[in-house]
Amino acid sequence: MEDKIKIEFDKAFKNYSSNDELNFKKNNLEYFIKNGFPGRKLESWKFSDLNQIINKNIGELNFFTDLKKEISTNKNYITKDIDHNKIAFINGILEEVDFSFEDKDKIIISKEVDTSTKINSENSLLNLNNAFCKNFYKITIPQNYSMNKPLIIYHVSTDNLSSTTLNSQLNFILEENSSLKIIDIYDDKSEKNFINTFYNFILKENAILKNYKIDKSQNSNIKYSYNNIDQSKDSISETFILSNGSKFLKNEINCNLKGQYSSAFINGVFSLDSDKHHEIRTSINHLVENTKSYQLIKSVLDDKSKSVYQGKIYVSPDAQKTDGYQLSKCILLDKNTEFNAKPELEIYADDVKCSHGSASGSLNENSIFYLRSRGLNYKQAKKLLISGFFLDVIEKITDEEIKNFIKKIMELNQ
Amino acid sequence: MDEKNLNIIKDYKYGFSTDIENVKAPKGLNEDVIRFISNIKKEPKWLLDWRLKAYKRLKVLKEPDWQKPKYPKINYQDLYYYSAPKNFSEKPKKLEDLDPKLLETYKKLGIPLDEQKRLNGIAVDAVFDSVSVATTFKDTLTKHGIIFCSISEAVQKHPDLVKKYLGTVIPITDHYFATLNSAVFTDGSFVYVPEGVRCPMELSTYFRINASDTGQFERTLIIADKGSYVSYLEGCTAPMRDENQLHAANVELIALDDAEIKYSTVQNWYPGDKDGKGGIYNFVTKRGLCKGNNSKISWTQVETGSAITWKYPSCILKGDNSIGEFYSIAITNNHQKADTGTKMIHLGKNTKSKIISKGISAGLSDMTYRGLVDISPNAENSNNYTQCDSLLMGNKCGAHTIPYIKNKNSNSNIAHEATTSKISEDQLHYCQQRGLNPEEAVGLIVNGFCKEVLQQLPMEFAVEAQKLVGISLEGSVG
Amino acid sequence: MLKINNLKANVDKKIILNGFNLEIKAGEVHAIMGPNGSGKSTLSNILSGKKGYDVTGEILFENKNLFELETEERAHKGIFLAFQYPLEIPGVNTNIFLKTSLNSIRKARGEKELDALEFLKIVKEKSKELKFDEEKLGRQLNVGFSGGEKKKNEILQMSILNPKLSILDETDSGLDIDALKIVASGVNSLRKKSNAFLIITHYQRLLDYIKPDFVHVLIDGKIKKSGGPELALELESKGYENIN
Repeated sequence: MEDKIKIEFDKAFKNYSSNDELNFKKNNLEYFIKNGFPGRKLESWKFSDLNQIINKNIGELNFFTDLKKEISTNKNYITKDIDHNKIAFINGILEEVDFSFEDKDKIIISKEVDTSTKINSENSLLNLNNAFCKNFYKITIPQNYSMNKPLIIYHVSTDNLSSTTLNSQLNFILEENSSLKIIDIYDDKSEKNFINTFYNFILKENAILKNYKIDKSQNSNIKYSYNNIDQSKDSISETFILSNGSKFLKNEINCNLKGQYSSAFINGVFSLDSDKHHEIRTSINHLVENTKSYQLIKSVLDDKSKSVYQGKIYVSPDAQKTDGYQLSKCILLDKNTEFNAKPELEIYADDVKCSHGSASGSLNENSIFYLRSRGLNYKQAKKLLISGFFLDVIEKITDEEIKNFIKKIMELNQ
Repeated sequence: MDEKNLNIIKDYKYGFSTDIENVKAPKGLNEDVIRFISNIKKEPKWLLDWRLKAYKRLKVLKEPDWQKPKYPKINYQDLYYYSAPKNFSEKPKKLEDLDPKLLETYKKLGIPLDEQKRLNGIAVDAVFDSVSVATTFKDTLTKHGIIFCSISEAVQKHPDLVKKYLGTVIPITDHYFATLNSAVFTDGSFVYVPEGVRCPMELSTYFRINASDTGQFERTLIIADKGSYVSYLEGCTAPMRDENQLHAANVELIALDDAEIKYSTVQNWYPGDKDGKGGIYNFVTKRGLCKGNNSKISWTQVETGSAITWKYPSCILKGDNSIGEFYSIAITNNHQKADTGTKMIHLGKNTKSKIISKGISAGLSDMTYRGLVDISPNAENSNNYTQCDSLLMGNKCGAHTIPYIKNKNSNSNIAHEATTSKISEDQLHYCQQRGLNPEEAVGLIVNGFCKEVLQQLPMEFAVEAQKLVGISLEGSVG
Repeated sequence: MLKINNLKANVDKKIILNGFNLEIKAGEVHAIMGPNGSGKSTLSNILSGKKGYDVTGEILFENKNLFELETEERAHKGIFLAFQYPLEIPGVNTNIFLKTSLNSIRKARGEKELDALEFLKIVKEKSKELKFDEEKLGRQLNVGFSGGEKKKNEILQMSILNPKLSILDETDSGLDIDALKIVASGVNSLRKKSNAFLIITHYQRLLDYIKPDFVHVLIDGKIKKSGGPELALELESKGYENIN
């Protein structure tokens, strides 16, 4: 792999303009070559070995593609169900930015990024992303500005693409008192690619971020998505994950609550069948007093699917009066399904309220019986119970318009 | 609150040492030392070979480093692997033949070996450093066909049973400390309860580390034959010494069809002083195999001692309808560290397990619950319930919960709950208003917090454990 | 309408019903009374098709063998059980549940399924009759309902689904007097020549408000004595031990 990756790197960035950035990329490439794709030896990949998964499902990977954007004239991936601003990544490359619902010149998109703060040698996929992502864009939501409409980020891959890694990255700054709503939608026409997405959010005082990640299109790609969220005083982040369509998908949310009275909410739904294997790993770091986090993750597994929830709440010695909660629930529908959870609490402050719970098992037979005694057949009863099971999570979405949009996508509008 | 009362740690009550002449194996770990141990114990060849095989394996194993408490590297060549009171190549037949100093030692520990003052209904096997020095109530037990003796004695008198079961639950290849134990284990208890027999009294082993620079590597093997029942208690203490001492025991339990084993531990090894100097490294492997259908193994532990505790008493639920239980109280104070929990491996159908863990950390200590619940695809209709609660006292300590949950069977249920909190000011205030001093109040509240586990202990132990819970936390209210 | 012949039921080899016989005709109200553990709830569970019992004997509902029908098919045929402990089903909206239920039953009967508006009209009407707080129907099924509200919700469901045979399993337990009256008036308003009720209860209190035609005493899985409403009063004064 080493020679191949170096050759492809040189090919991709032979005319790169910024020397600083190129060095940064080369450093990251070195890290990645040294550490490779993560495997079971790492605690964070205990339940799924990405090395194995890539070998089994893709085989040898390319790291560079020069497929052009013929799809961008055919924009059938764009949803008409909700008014929105848009950004489109076509085969991992940012091809379209449209903030037409916003006040003119309010949203600032720049290319320079301070690379000095960005090395992270502990996550080799981030290194890979830093090395190969084409540009580092920074999007700034100015002070006191709330976006009129959500921003949908489309991740589109074309059907002539295969066995390639796509690395895309966005950096967001939410200035004081600003708010941003993002919906990520994957539109996969391609098969057997490794799609690696990294977002970095900086929330200043009182900023509100809502990120809804929708993986609904059925596809055989392997995906990894990492959100880093740094939060200042009084800021709020809300993340929702629908994990459904891909062959493999791992969502990681790393949230640093650095300002007092900041809070983080993570809600997730795994709805899996066939031999899909999906994972959510969260790490909420309560670093100062009076911060709050809440996580609710629900799985329904059918056929041979497998879901993993690794959720960690870290409370530093300074983070008194932390309120941390996580709950994971799973319904196993088939005897070949598997649910793994590692809800972890690491706590160094005493005046805290932290708890977690996890429950997994079959559909509740008593509930099924109750519904059948009211005339529903088994299939209806099962469907109703599963919808109810999921709705509990969906109802946590605080944006009504987006909530309805997601209900529609999930076909939960009975 | 009165400041000066706060930071005094009560003297470790069991910190005295006994001045007794010892026979020791030469320092260090090598084949010769293993041969020395095996030879002095007059072991059959198969056992020596078994030890040497473990030693060979040990040489390629690495010390684990994933557990949370880190410790300075142990120099395994600088330890004694065998230490016994002099003239002890054979255990005395009668208590009168025992060195009076030893009798005195156990008396001071509150464990009279003298049958006149025997503990009510508890048969005791006393292990001093590397050897078992006395076993009480032999006659009564023999009448029921129950074998309760030191493992060395069992090797001589019941070699078939030992050979059949030794290492079947913890194989010699298991992990570093278990393998080390297999190579150099010195003594420990052996219990066999025959088919259909309900053991009429509690069986108990009392472990004492006395000699310095000595590792204690005892090995306990308990077999409950079909339809039998036994309740076994284990207590531990050690003198206060400046250096850290290693204790790496292996305990294997085997329950056949319809049998039940209840294993209780009150671990109060020397925890080190309040600055974290000295104390025992308690790296213990305990595992029970519910081999037969309808069998049950229940672990109860009260862990208050040791500088570092690192143990996961586990159950392998192989037989259909078998049950595994784990009740634990772990308390760390000052510089103590504990990483403890359990593993419940569900293999048979209709198997059930229950985990109740109460962790309390105070001072500068660090406590981790680490557990695994694994329901395999064939373990139809099984279930687990886990409740893990942590209590923090002060903001210089840590409490962590790391459960691994694996459900691979759609007809099986796993439920896990965990909380972390501190003693509420309101509770304290209420107790104080009713006249309790803060330490009494904390003792009361903590005992309430632990009640579910304390209830699992046999009476005689429960009272002792309850006191221990209070003592361990003295000086931690603030 | 309902004929039970020599019904025997075991759970884990424990005998619960031991030769139970009963016939209910259209238009009748029967009350079954019995001490705890006499098999009352087992009877209602078996009638509604709950699994987990070893059953022998015969139950005919309108001359159809009930054992051949799944739980929901029994509901389609018009058997309704008001549960002793109505289940809480988180996430499932009460209105949506009721609409799905009503339409499944209508469909099975060959009737037209109702649209949202028609359904709402019925619900509004019935809620008003039963003094049931309509706002609660927008909530998750029985979640956060008080004991009394859950029981009233059962009666509301009964009146909406309009069953032929309604089985009330200890519906009176845990109700205060006002709720009891509402439940009773709900039942009374449904009494018709064409349908029947089986009221299972421990106390005769409910029977002050719902006059039964027949009272049966269930002891040790068998009917020990049958009679008119006066039997309930006799039980109240003498207790179950003195019935023979």
